[in-house]
Amino acid sequence: MSERSFYVRWGRYLVLIALAIPLYIWSWRTADINLIDLVQGAPKARPIISDLVRPSLLARERVTLSVSTVVRVPCDGPAPEPPAAEGPTVSLSATCLNARDPLVVSGSGFRPNTPGRLYWRVAGLEGRLRDEPFETDAQGRFTVQTDIPPLLAQQGGVHALDVELKWEAGTLRPSETLRTTVDKMIETVFLALMATTFGGLVAVPLSFLGARNIMPATLWGNTLYVAVRSFFNTARSIEPLILATIFAIWVGFGPFAGVLALSVHTIASLGKLYSEAAENIDPGPIEAIRSTGANEWQVIWYGVVPQIVPPYVSFTVYHWDINVRMSTIIGFVGGGGIGLELQRWINQLQWNSAATAVWAIVLVVSAMDYASAIVRERLV
Amino acid sequence: MLEIKELTKVYDDGTVALKNVSFTVPDGEFLVIIGLSGSGKSTLLRCINRLIEPTSGQIIWDGVDITAAGQEDLRRIRRQIGMIFQQFNLVKRHTVLTNVLTGRLGYTSTWRSLLGLWSRDDRERALRNLELVGIADKAHNRADELSGGQQQRVGIARALMQAPRLLLADEPVASLDPATSHSVMKYIEWMNRERGLTVLCSLHFLSLARRYGTRIIALRAGELVFDGRPEEIDDRRFKEIYGEDAIEVEIR
Amino acid sequence: MERAEHVPQPAPANRRLLAPLLSFVFPGMGHIYAGRRERGMWIAITTATLLGLLWWLELWSLLPALVPFWLWNAWETRTIVFGRRPSTVKLVMSAAIIVYAIGWRVTEIDVQQLAVGASKIRPFVVSLLQPYYVDREVTYAASSAPVQVPCGDVPPPTAGATGGTVVVPTPPCASVGESITVRGQGFPPNVEGELWWENPIGDRARLRSGGQFITFLTDAQGTFEVRVTVPDMVPRQFQETAQLHKVEARYISEVGPWRLTETSALVAQRMGETIAQALMATTWGALFAVPLSFFAARNPMQFHPLALLVYYLARTALNILRAIEPLIMAIVFVVWVGLGPFAGVLALTMHSIAALGKLYSEAIESIDPGPIEAITATGANRVQVVWYAVLPQVLPPFVAFTVYRWDINVRMSTIIGFVGGGGIGFLLQQWIRLTDFRSASAAIWAIALVVTVLDFFSRKVRERFV
Repeated sequence: MSERSFYVRWGRYLVLIALAIPLYIWSWRTADINLIDLVQGAPKARPIISDLVRPSLLARERVTLSVSTVVRVPCDGPAPEPPAAEGPTVSLSATCLNARDPLVVSGSGFRPNTPGRLYWRVAGLEGRLRDEPFETDAQGRFTVQTDIPPLLAQQGGVHALDVELKWEAGTLRPSETLRTTVDKMIETVFLALMATTFGGLVAVPLSFLGARNIMPATLWGNTLYVAVRSFFNTARSIEPLILATIFAIWVGFGPFAGVLALSVHTIASLGKLYSEAAENIDPGPIEAIRSTGANEWQVIWYGVVPQIVPPYVSFTVYHWDINVRMSTIIGFVGGGGIGLELQRWINQLQWNSAATAVWAIVLVVSAMDYASAIVRERLV
Repeated sequence: MLEIKELTKVYDDGTVALKNVSFTVPDGEFLVIIGLSGSGKSTLLRCINRLIEPTSGQIIWDGVDITAAGQEDLRRIRRQIGMIFQQFNLVKRHTVLTNVLTGRLGYTSTWRSLLGLWSRDDRERALRNLELVGIADKAHNRADELSGGQQQRVGIARALMQAPRLLLADEPVASLDPATSHSVMKYIEWMNRERGLTVLCSLHFLSLARRYGTRIIALRAGELVFDGRPEEIDDRRFKEIYGEDAIEVEIR
Repeated sequence: MERAEHVPQPAPANRRLLAPLLSFVFPGMGHIYAGRRERGMWIAITTATLLGLLWWLELWSLLPALVPFWLWNAWETRTIVFGRRPSTVKLVMSAAIIVYAIGWRVTEIDVQQLAVGASKIRPFVVSLLQPYYVDREVTYAASSAPVQVPCGDVPPPTAGATGGTVVVPTPPCASVGESITVRGQGFPPNVEGELWWENPIGDRARLRSGGQFITFLTDAQGTFEVRVTVPDMVPRQFQETAQLHKVEARYISEVGPWRLTETSALVAQRMGETIAQALMATTWGALFAVPLSFFAARNPMQFHPLALLVYYLARTALNILRAIEPLIMAIVFVVWVGLGPFAGVLALTMHSIAALGKLYSEAIESIDPGPIEAITATGANRVQVVWYAVLPQVLPPFVAFTVYRWDINVRMSTIIGFVGGGGIGFLLQQWIRLTDFRSASAAIWAIALVVTVLDFFSRKVRERFV
């Protein structure tokens, strides 16, 4: 390497670096990069990540057992009559209480080793107050010490005290979340299928108009070619999510809007891929067929079609795969599929449910990715 | 008899591929066209069945002016002219049988061919022709599973299907190894001798041309520079055709 | 595989009947019986899946659409027992009937809605051709006159001239729903104007007639005459008494020069943010993906079983990460670091790491061992081998993939704002929701332009490098 070319080369690198540094500084500031937030926000992300590994899949039915008793506050009247009950019994250390008096609640005959909780139902009010938790022992007994909440003391009267035990029973069943997820994933896959089909059907004829070697080199042919190619490029640059927002206005929220948005995007993407495939066909066989005295239809059927079918099918399958990915998020703007539920779960901070959806997406998308790769390999 | 009269081809980009080429081919001749790459051999052959439209000049075959034929007539003429190609030009995804059957497209109505309804006669003929070129057992294989030599034999079978009277061969062995080249050339020779086809064959190697041709013409930059019997090409002529630095290579 | 089984064989009579019958009882069984095990298995699995779908979705009404597939599968076994090759295309097409029937129902396709909703989308389509980049400042001149509603005891005052223009309602008082004639004088000739109504508490509305806004056109003398109906704009508390309303004639008096709108400024700023986000995400993604890709490539990890384990783990992690759309990640990062472009950068970075990691590792896996062998044979040390044989092979694909990724990241960051991740998406969504379609159109065209230009450049760069 000569001396001169060495300096020219490094000089060029220096210029590039000199251009890149301000660009990066500007980008850094514009994109609002703040690594401190990333570290400080980490605790907020911890429950998300820990819940991500515990998706809600199976659930048993929940059983609730509630036993009520009553207590008078303050001690200024006759002892209230506790409601008659069979089965488990609850006894109180006192039948009436003054403010800040301790109260010992004990029970027997309950389900052993089960968590429970005390609730106060205030006389004359709706709703109830949460109080001490407890757990029954192996004999189904418990003792828990509490005092009356200030609100009850203030209100006065005969208040009810609920002893409530909750446990899971019955067989494991798919949780509600899982059922919704499966429903919506089916919708997602079909949404992508319909969009790919509609898009492909429109893209095939359009792709011929967008192929140089098929369009005649006349003024009309060129105009049509340029128009179709520009449409492909412009429509392709608009993300389906944006299209879906628009279609949601047109046909209302729901999977149909998503199908339409993805279809439009598919027409543009597949149209471009198809027309490039059509431009790349080998003219040899066409020449050979023509030299046998075949007419134009026969030339197309025997010379062109066998060459374009494999790439067309392969691109279509590939695009179905892409559309499945996209239809997982198209629900964010009302386009159907799993997206809507996922967003709802995240907004309500139901991270277990969100995790179910995310894992379902991972599973389906990976499976589609794998399947489409295999199909494409076989086709070539 | 095939007469080429003052054939000229100028491409859209201004390249002159053929300049006033004239010669006559009597029936039953094995005419070999030699010349360097780009000398106009392929253009000449493609002008004869008008895969390329000549710019001026005439091609008259048995009194019919091919250059003046309308679309319908042209197709009728084309089906009597078989053609084989350097790159074989088979439809790779079709079976060998279907590829051979496409030789009958010029004789088959559009709707029958689009539905793939070949006549029993055509199918039998196709299998016979495949037997003739020795690859009947590959009839149901996909074309791209065959070796180069086998693919070219499919090309020959396809040309045979047309029951042609004239065969155009554009560098039929340029993509094949020497041993396979001879086997393919022998099939072409057989068609010429036994079936009485007139053959126009372009070749790269002079040795092959000497071995198979009954007559040789040579093109250089689109002009006819030699027309005569193989043995007339001596060292001086050879250098005229191929340039000063060329050395003759023997293909066995 | 299909072809290899093409062996014509004689078909015993019992086979000819039993195979179709078995496949009729349950699809695929006859195929298995007739020796086409793989095909039979696939058919059986497909049938089970389809039945499962119908059961889960409770779409038993679509059962008839399964009949063609069921019957064709049985019929097809005859082809097999006669030793011919069954047509896969026809089988797939018969299955497509039921698949598309389900798809049609699940995705709630309603073609009619396209026509019904067309009126809602027309303003958008019109706006698409008029992106709100520039406008002109328009000054209106107006002249008004009082109208008494309804006619009262005190006669209404007459209007004074404002700037030479006079509006005269006749009669000067009327009840709601009655017609009055509004005449104008002293206006500029041949201008178009609008009529407005103002009630005593200051509510204003443009006057309509038969659902259409009323416009007037002045003649050569600058006068006009229109009949208008007194609108029901009487405030509730004034219903009994006669009050003074106003009728106003206004016209465009002055049109300022073209100027850029605020929308343009916003779009430009947000597009800048979009591009910066994509650049940052691509850079971070590439920086993390390069080391990761070596762990996710098979050939450098084959030296030890433990390394191979790392390879599998890295591969799986990349695949999982890649399957999750950046938009989903953005929601999580919005919770983590708050709304804004940084959340978008993080989401795009994660996705870029996964996507680039996979592409890089494939590039590493496909390097040609020839040059490595050749350079080693010259007696070069390991660093020299990497520098002269490995790097030249992986650098061009790495650069090409990275540039391509930037292109994709720009596309994605146009929508990451939909969930609060910064960039133009947030504004665009707002504008669409508020039906400010002209601004939305400005954003859409800006996106189209930037994405297309970047697409072009990334293609050029890739062509130079590959």
